[in-house]
Amino acid sequence: MQHAEHSHRRSAWLRAAPVLALWLAIHAGQAAAVDIDYDARRSAALRRCDEPQHHGRVEEARDCYRPLLRDASSLVRAEAAFALGDLRTANDLFKVAVAEDPRGALQRVRWGRMYMEVGQSAEAAGLFQEALQIDPKDAGARLALVSLGVEQFEGDAVEETNKLLAEHANLVEAQLLASRLELERGRIEAATQAAQRALQLTQQQKHPPLEAQTLLAAIEVVRKRDPGEWTRAVLAYNPRYGKLFETLGRTEIMRRRYVEADGWLQQAVKVQPDLWSAQREVGLNLMRLGRIAEARPHLETAYEGDPFSATTVNTLTLLDSLAKFDVVKVATPAMNLQLHKTESATLGPYVEQLAAQAITTFSRRYGYQPSGPVTVEIYPDHDDFAVRTAGLPGIGLLGVTFGDLVAMDSPSGRKTGDFHWGSVLWHELAHVFTLSVTKNRVPRWLSEGLSVLEEWTTGPTPGVMVNPKVLDMFKEGKLLPVVGLDNGFMRPTYEGQVQISYDQAGLVCLFAEQRWGFPRLVEFLRAFNDESATTDSAVRSVFKVTPEDFDKEFQRFVRERFSKYLADPERLTALMRRAHSMLEARNWNAAREAAQAAIEVLPELTVEGNAYEVLAAAEEAAGKPDAAITALQSWRKAGGWNPDGLRKLAALLQAAKRNAEAAEVLVAVNYADPLAIDGHDRLGQLLLEQNRGADALREYRVLLALHPLDTAAANFGMARAYRQTGDNSRARRHLLESLDTAPNYRPAQKLLLEMTGDRK
Amino acid sequence: MNRRITRLCGQIGVVLLCALPAGLAMAASQVLVITGIGGEEMFDTRFSSWSQKVATASASVTGDPKRVVKLSGDGARREAVQAALKSAAETLRAGDQFVLVLLGHGTYDGSEYRFNLPGPDLTGSEMLALLDQIPTAVPQLVVNATSTSGAIAERWVRPHRVVITATKSGGERNAPKFGGFWADALTSTEADRDKDGSLTAQEAYDFANRKVTETFKSDAAIVTEHAHIGGTDPSRFVVARLGATAQFASDPQLIALRAEQGGIESQLAQLRPQKAQLTQDEYFDRIEPVLVELAKLGARIDARLTALGVNTGANADAAR
Repeated sequence: MQHAEHSHRRSAWLRAAPVLALWLAIHAGQAAAVDIDYDARRSAALRRCDEPQHHGRVEEARDCYRPLLRDASSLVRAEAAFALGDLRTANDLFKVAVAEDPRGALQRVRWGRMYMEVGQSAEAAGLFQEALQIDPKDAGARLALVSLGVEQFEGDAVEETNKLLAEHANLVEAQLLASRLELERGRIEAATQAAQRALQLTQQQKHPPLEAQTLLAAIEVVRKRDPGEWTRAVLAYNPRYGKLFETLGRTEIMRRRYVEADGWLQQAVKVQPDLWSAQREVGLNLMRLGRIAEARPHLETAYEGDPFSATTVNTLTLLDSLAKFDVVKVATPAMNLQLHKTESATLGPYVEQLAAQAITTFSRRYGYQPSGPVTVEIYPDHDDFAVRTAGLPGIGLLGVTFGDLVAMDSPSGRKTGDFHWGSVLWHELAHVFTLSVTKNRVPRWLSEGLSVLEEWTTGPTPGVMVNPKVLDMFKEGKLLPVVGLDNGFMRPTYEGQVQISYDQAGLVCLFAEQRWGFPRLVEFLRAFNDESATTDSAVRSVFKVTPEDFDKEFQRFVRERFSKYLADPERLTALMRRAHSMLEARNWNAAREAAQAAIEVLPELTVEGNAYEVLAAAEEAAGKPDAAITALQSWRKAGGWNPDGLRKLAALLQAAKRNAEAAEVLVAVNYADPLAIDGHDRLGQLLLEQNRGADALREYRVLLALHPLDTAAANFGMARAYRQTGDNSRARRHLLESLDTAPNYRPAQKLLLEMTGDRK
Repeated sequence: MNRRITRLCGQIGVVLLCALPAGLAMAASQVLVITGIGGEEMFDTRFSSWSQKVATASASVTGDPKRVVKLSGDGARREAVQAALKSAAETLRAGDQFVLVLLGHGTYDGSEYRFNLPGPDLTGSEMLALLDQIPTAVPQLVVNATSTSGAIAERWVRPHRVVITATKSGGERNAPKFGGFWADALTSTEADRDKDGSLTAQEAYDFANRKVTETFKSDAAIVTEHAHIGGTDPSRFVVARLGATAQFASDPQLIALRAEQGGIESQLAQLRPQKAQLTQDEYFDRIEPVLVELAKLGARIDARLTALGVNTGANADAAR
C-alpha cells in the first residue's frame, strides 16, 4: 500500500528535474547535510552551534540553532533555518537578508550555497554571479562558483582554483578543491599536499578537520592503502559523519570499482542512516551492480527522507517500469538480455546474436572469460536510459558499462540513421572486457580507445571513421599528450573535446596496434593490473619509449596517415561542395571527379553527405551500376553504415544478381535499423535462396513481431523458413495462416500443393 | 477476394457475380484526379508525381484511360474543377463508381475549408454541393490528401460516399505525406493484403496510414498528420488492380474458372465463422482441403493465363 502511494506520488514528480524550482517552496523540516562553512565572516553565534553539529551531536546542535531563528540578523536566522533543515523558511529569510542589504555579497553566496546543497545548480550559479557583480573580488563567491564548477566537471575549474589559491593560499576550501581535482587527475602527491595543507589550515583556523581528513582517506583508498588512520580520526571527531564513507564510495565509483564502492557506501548509511544522499548512492550503485532488488529499499529510504530528489524519484520510477521489460537468459555465452516487452521479439534476436559474437571475439582477443553472465539492458525511452545510468534524464550518452552490465539506448528511441546501435553495443561490450581484465583499473582513455579500436576493426561496421574536427584539433595542437588524455574525458576545456578525445584515444590505440602489434597493446592494457601503474609507467614498461617519444611517434603517425587532409583542410570542403553541386546539376563526370578527389583526401569521412555516396549516385545515373556498387562497397569498407546507403547497395547488388552479397548487406542494415518493416521480407527471401533457413526464420519472426500489414507474406515466409529447417508441422501452420488471410495467394498455394503432394 | 462480394457469394450464390474479382463485377468507374497549386517547385514536383502515379494506377480499374481525368496546373482552375464535377454528375449512372482524388494544399480558417487552386480557391461547401449533384446511386470515394482536409472529413460523408482525408482535423496544417503513400499503395503488392490482385480503398488507406506513422517514427518526429476514413464499407471500392489478369476479364474460360473459384471461396466463407470456436489445429484441418482445392484451381487459372501469353511466374510474383 505504501509502495503504491509512493509510486503514485513519484509519478506526479516524474522527471523531477524541471519541477525542482518548487522544491524550496514546499520543502520543510527535512534534515539537510549542510557542508562546513569555512568563511571567516560566519557569525560567532552560528559557529557556537556548528561545533556540536560537526561533532555529530545533532540534538544539541538543533537546540542551539533554534533560538537563532529569533536573532536580530536575518542572515543568521536564515542560516539557522538552513541548518535545521527548514529550507522553505531559510529561503524566505535569505530573501529578506538580500532585500535588507541589496549590496551584500555574503547573503547571496550563502543563499546560493543552500541551492547548491539541494542540487539546484542554475539558481546557485545565478546567486554567485550576482555576488560577484557586487564585489568581483569576493573570495567566498569565487570559491562557491569554482566549487560548483568542480561538481559539474567543468574544465576551467582547475585554472580557477589555482588562481584563487595564488591570491588566497589560506582558503581551506580552495585547498580541498585543489586536492580533489589533483586526485581526479591521478596526481596523488599533489593531491596529498593540498589535503595536508587544508588540514593544517583547519587546525590554524579552528575549523573541523572532517573534510580534509576524508580527502586524505580517499587518497589512501586510491593508493590502495588502508585509510584507517584517517577514518578513525574522522569518526573520533564525529561518529555520525557518513560523508566520510560516502566520499570513499564515490571515489571508487569514479574509478568504476562498484563492488568496492558498495562496501564504503554501506558503511556510510550505517554510521548515518539519515544521510539521504548516501542511501540514494547505495541504491544507485547496487543498480550498477545489477542488484536491483537490493537497491530498491535504499532508494525508498532515500525517498522517505528526501522525497524531492530528482535522482531518487526518477530512479524509483524507472524501477517501477522494469515490469515492462522481458529478461532473456542465454546460456552460452552467459548473458541476460533485458529488453522492453514491446521490442524484445524484434530486437532480441539481433542483440543476442551480436552480443554473443562480441563476447566470443573479445574473449579471444583479450584472453579473458567473464566470470558470470553479461547483462545487456536496452531502453526504448532515452530518459529511462539516462536515469538508469546517471539518475537524471537529459544526458547525451548512448551506452554505458558498469562492470559486467551494459545499458544503452534502443534504436527505437532515436531517429533512424542517428546512431548505429550495433556499434554502440560492440563498443560497450569491449568495455566489459577491458574493465574486467584490469579489475577496473584501466584508465578511461585506454578503455574508450580500445572500444573505439574494436568498433573500427572487429565491430559490425569495420572501418576507421574519423571526424575531420579531430584532425583540425590536431593541426591546432589541441590534442592532449597520452598521459593527460583522461582530462579530455573528465574535464573538457573546449566544446566537443569529449568526442574529440574518443577519436584521439581510438587513433592512439590504432597507432599502438600498428606500431607494436595487438598482443603488445593487450600487454599494455594488462599492465594496469599493477595497482601502481600509470599511463606514464605503462608506456615506458610495455612500449619501451618515454611518453614524450610515444606522443612524437603518434603525431608522426597522424601526420602521415592524414597527410592529404592536413596539407589543405579547406580543399576537402571545396571538393565536397563541388561534388554535391555537380550531382545536382546532373553533370555526372564532374561529380565523379570531385567525389573521387574528396575520397582521396580523406577516405575516413563516411558520415551523411559523404563523397562515396555522391560517387555512387553519379555512377548509377551515368548508367554504371557496377561502378556504383564499387563506390558503396568502398564506403562500407571505410566504415559507412547509414541504412539508406546500405539499402541502396543491397538493391544494386540484387539488381546485378549478386544476391548473396545483397543478403550480407541487408543483414548489416539490421545493426543500424532493425525496426523498419521494409527489408526483412527481402532479406528473408534472399536467405531462403541460399538455404539459410534458420537465418530466414529470424527475419520472418522479427517481421511478424513488427505487426506488418502484409501478414500473408510474413506467414508465407515463416512457412518456407520452417520447411527449410525441416519443421513441416510449423511450416504447415504458418502456410495455412497465410492462406486464411489470402486464399488466392499464388506462391502460398503452390507451396501448399507441394506440401500436400497434391500438385496436379 | 473482396469481403463484400464473398459475403454475397456465400449468401445468395450469385455465380456470375462471383465469377469475377470484386472490381470487375462493377460497371466501369470514373476517376478524377485534381492537383492543386504547389506554391513552390518542390511541392509542384511532388504533387505532380503523385497525381501521375494515381492516374496511371486508376486506369487499371476503369479499363479505359479516358475514364481517368487528370486536372493540374492551369487546367485545375476553379472553373475547370467545377466543370469536371458537373460533367461527372451528368454522365454517371446507377451502378457506376466515382473516385475523386485531391492532391495539394488545403487551408482552413476555422469555419471553411479551401482547396488551393491556381486563381480563386474552391471552398469545401462548394465542392460538397458539386459532389451532392452526382446521383446517390453512384457509390463515391473521395480521397482528400490535402493539408487541413480533416475539416471536411465528416461533413462530406454520405451513405453512398466514403471520404478519406489526410488529416483528422482542420488544425493539421503541415503538408501531409499521406498522398504520396496513397499513390504508392496503388502499385504495392504489400498493400494488397488478401493477394487477390484488387486493391480496395480500405487496403490502400491502411497501407498509406501505416507508412505515414512509420515515417514519423523513423524520423523521431512529432506526428503532424493523422489520416481519417469515414463512411461505410470502403472495401467496396477497388482503386487499383495489380498483375495482368484484369486484361483478360472477358476470356470465357477464365470466367468459368473464376465462377468455380467463387464457389470454393464460399465454402471457405462458411468455415470462417467457426474459427473462434475451434482450436487452431482443428480450424486448419477444416480449411486445408478447401484451400487445396482453391490452390489446384489457381494452378488451372495460371495455366489458362499462360496460354493467353501471361507470364504466370511474374503474375504469381505480382500477386505477392
